[in-house]
Amino acid sequence: MNQPINRQHHHRQNRWRNLIILVTLTFMLISALPNLYTDKVKLTLTNSGEHQQQTTPKYFKDILAQANIPTDEIRVSNDEIVITLHEAADQKFATESLKQQLADGYQVTSSLTNEAPAWLNAFAAKPIKLGLDLSGGVLFVLEVDTDRAQADRIKNIGQELKAIALENKIRAVNVSPLNNHALTVDLTRASNEAKDTLFPQITKTYPELSIKKEQEHKYLLSYTDEAQQTFRQETMKQTLKTMRGRIEELGITEAITQKQGKNRIRIELPGVHDPAEAKRIIGATASLEFYQLASNTAGFGVIHIKDENGRQLALNGKAIFSGSNIKNAVAGRDDMGQPLVNLTLDGIGGKKMSNFSKKNIGKPMATVFSEFYRNADNQMLKTNKIINVATIQQHLGSQFSITNLSSHQTAQELALLLRAGSLTAPVTIVQQRSIEATLGEANIDNGIKALTVGVSITLLFMAFWYRSLGLVANVALGLNLLSLLGLMSLLPGAVLTLPGIAGLVLTVGMAVDTNVLIFERIKEELKRGRKTLAAIESGYNNAFTTILDANITTMITGVILYAIGYGAVKGFAIILCLGILTSMFTGVFVSKALTGLLVRENKAQLLGVKS
Amino acid sequence: MSTLSTQFTEDLSKVRLFSLYAAVLFVFIALLGLFTRGLNLGLDFTGGYLTEFSTERSIAQSDMDKMLSAYLPGSFQVSSAENGTYWTLRQADNVQNTDSKIWLTEFAQQNQLNITPQDSMYIGSQIGEELINQGGLALLTATVAILLYLSLRFEWRLAMGCLVALFHDVIVVLGVFSWFGLSFDLTILASLLALIGYSLNDSIIVGDKMRELMRANDKNPLESIINAAIKSTLVRTMITSGTTLATILAIWFFAGESLKGFAVALFTGIIVGTYSSIALSATIPQLLGLKADHYQQKEEEILCDLP
Repeated sequence: MNQPINRQHHHRQNRWRNLIILVTLTFMLISALPNLYTDKVKLTLTNSGEHQQQTTPKYFKDILAQANIPTDEIRVSNDEIVITLHEAADQKFATESLKQQLADGYQVTSSLTNEAPAWLNAFAAKPIKLGLDLSGGVLFVLEVDTDRAQADRIKNIGQELKAIALENKIRAVNVSPLNNHALTVDLTRASNEAKDTLFPQITKTYPELSIKKEQEHKYLLSYTDEAQQTFRQETMKQTLKTMRGRIEELGITEAITQKQGKNRIRIELPGVHDPAEAKRIIGATASLEFYQLASNTAGFGVIHIKDENGRQLALNGKAIFSGSNIKNAVAGRDDMGQPLVNLTLDGIGGKKMSNFSKKNIGKPMATVFSEFYRNADNQMLKTNKIINVATIQQHLGSQFSITNLSSHQTAQELALLLRAGSLTAPVTIVQQRSIEATLGEANIDNGIKALTVGVSITLLFMAFWYRSLGLVANVALGLNLLSLLGLMSLLPGAVLTLPGIAGLVLTVGMAVDTNVLIFERIKEELKRGRKTLAAIESGYNNAFTTILDANITTMITGVILYAIGYGAVKGFAIILCLGILTSMFTGVFVSKALTGLLVRENKAQLLGVKS
Repeated sequence: MSTLSTQFTEDLSKVRLFSLYAAVLFVFIALLGLFTRGLNLGLDFTGGYLTEFSTERSIAQSDMDKMLSAYLPGSFQVSSAENGTYWTLRQADNVQNTDSKIWLTEFAQQNQLNITPQDSMYIGSQIGEELINQGGLALLTATVAILLYLSLRFEWRLAMGCLVALFHDVIVVLGVFSWFGLSFDLTILASLLALIGYSLNDSIIVGDKMRELMRANDKNPLESIINAAIKSTLVRTMITSGTTLATILAIWFFAGESLKGFAVALFTGIIVGTYSSIALSATIPQLLGLKADHYQQKEEEILCDLP
């Protein structure tokens, strides 16, 4: 009775389904399209100098040709020159060569643009990001020694306690560090009010500190497990921020900086050719601190550091202020042409400096440069170097300079490090890899070759084995690859790596499975004597649970792989998971719609089984 | 059922039993290799330096060995590919080493070679140790997650069959890597995890069919149900494994040196996985005493859940 209504309902449902499929596929196509076009780097030169002279494109072409950098296009207009480079990887090198050759008046800025036509750019679609093994570049994995930072923090607290005691004239305060997250304070011989003065002051600066009474007059100041964890996370966050700042300072735009595991940082620098320079800046754990020279060499909390002449200097244990108070640092030269770094301090630093210098005019102040390094036994050590000792001539504010630097390059590097922020925790490079751009290109070529061969074999086989339904499967497979490319381009975190390409090839082989399962099922139904349309309908419906079952396990392993893997392995996991999603979409929904179309055209024969 | 001749049933049962013994033997051989020879762990796990470079003309392995040992202070391992034009050099973490880019150029000049650096890598030994733990954890998590999924989806005897097949596949592939001394690195571990997924794929499809047939005909003996399930999924298994193997061969031959190990792992894995889905995951439930009426009850339970 309800038959006609049902059929109409069914029909409408089909139309909706087809519309959704069409919209999805169009969307995927648009997302995948930018991959056909390559990224180009455009260098824009603007002349800010007063004396403008007319330049010709040839002039710039020659400069770049000398450095062996091919160009696609050079446009010279009155106020700016736009150079399009042939290879995006040349960006940094080209910028340097231009800066070297051109007068100071020019400013070079670079931007990355896709060659895609304007209408495509309007969709804001981006091509797939390539992993380092495909683009070439440098990889660093840094280990952040948060334990050491914690120990330093405890040491600082100890020194601060002594300083507070000194300020308030409390005697006989005995502070000794217990381990890297706790210290004991012995007030046995101190006055009774000592703790009421000391502890509120110290918890004002370090609210995370918990104070416990151990015995009469003995106290344990410690970081609880929770506080330690917060401290570790904060340290990691700060280190990450500093690293991003440093990489920005280096002028690398497409870098990936991310946390890896509990205390590692992974930095991928595509297009960097010389790892040595990047390594020096990234791996540097330099920090700068300013100390007052101690009047009494054997005094309370005094530290001893040798200067470059081997002279032992005694410094007050507590720094006046540290590198983290520096807002800006610029390398320059003084009137005599000696290199120096001009510093600008932030509010807190400026106030500290102002207070200190007002009280200490005529007294010396030392600038200490500290660096961490690992010795042969893999122990982290800290070296301190006094770069200069200067007498405070006047009341200083938030601006002053560091002199006595060995060369202009040292000044520039020091300025860069100070600008990008100093690290509170020492870092060491635990993994480094540099991949030549040519190897990356070869990897892409090989990957595409493998993909072409793999796809061709599969397509030919399916067409041969299943004939007309094989065509359906093949179209579905093509759409599957298209959707996969589209999804990869769409997802911001997805990166294509060489194992990822292998995953892509593998997906092709496996994607066929969905169709094979369905087709075998349809064959079975036909043999049981069902009508073609009914057989197709029940074939698709019955096979679906099996397909779901079989794919879920692969999905589980893919997700686990994604969660624990890094770099290339993560790229493989992404493709594996996305490939399952797209192959279920195209293999089941799209090919069902396609089969419907096919059967409407040609009802007579299917799969060699006559209906 | 009627299409299934008794002759075929008997033959298939014999094949299954025989391949079950063979599978046990394979696992034994693989374990022997793993315990006596161990795995040739790659740089990812051991830590150290890896330098890859290509030379313009082909050089004999022994010549390169001599030239390098005259130049490098510490011990090293060098292997060649692409007719002696592509070289992979491995050094331990604590070996004295200069900046790789500089020493390669110097080395090339000294021996009048035309060398192009390709890839250079340093991995700290502490990372390697961690990776071994992490990799083991990943394998374990994957197995547990899959076990959970299987026990929810199938009767425990069927799930057990799939799980035994899974272990068999992983152990045999590891055995192949151990016996042939192939380098076991992070990509291989990734391919092993992918393999776990694929290995189950076949087992599950056979299991699904068994379940379906058991629900439909509880009168038939289990033996013939299993054989019928295998027979009706055989074409699908062959086609899928065939196309997957073909694409893996494409990776093996065209995708370059760095994916060879990956291709080897998957290739052996898919072959072993296909075979174990018939030999193990279909046979073990029978040995554990699976009966068709286990699913008769099960079906009623499931029916309540399904919408």
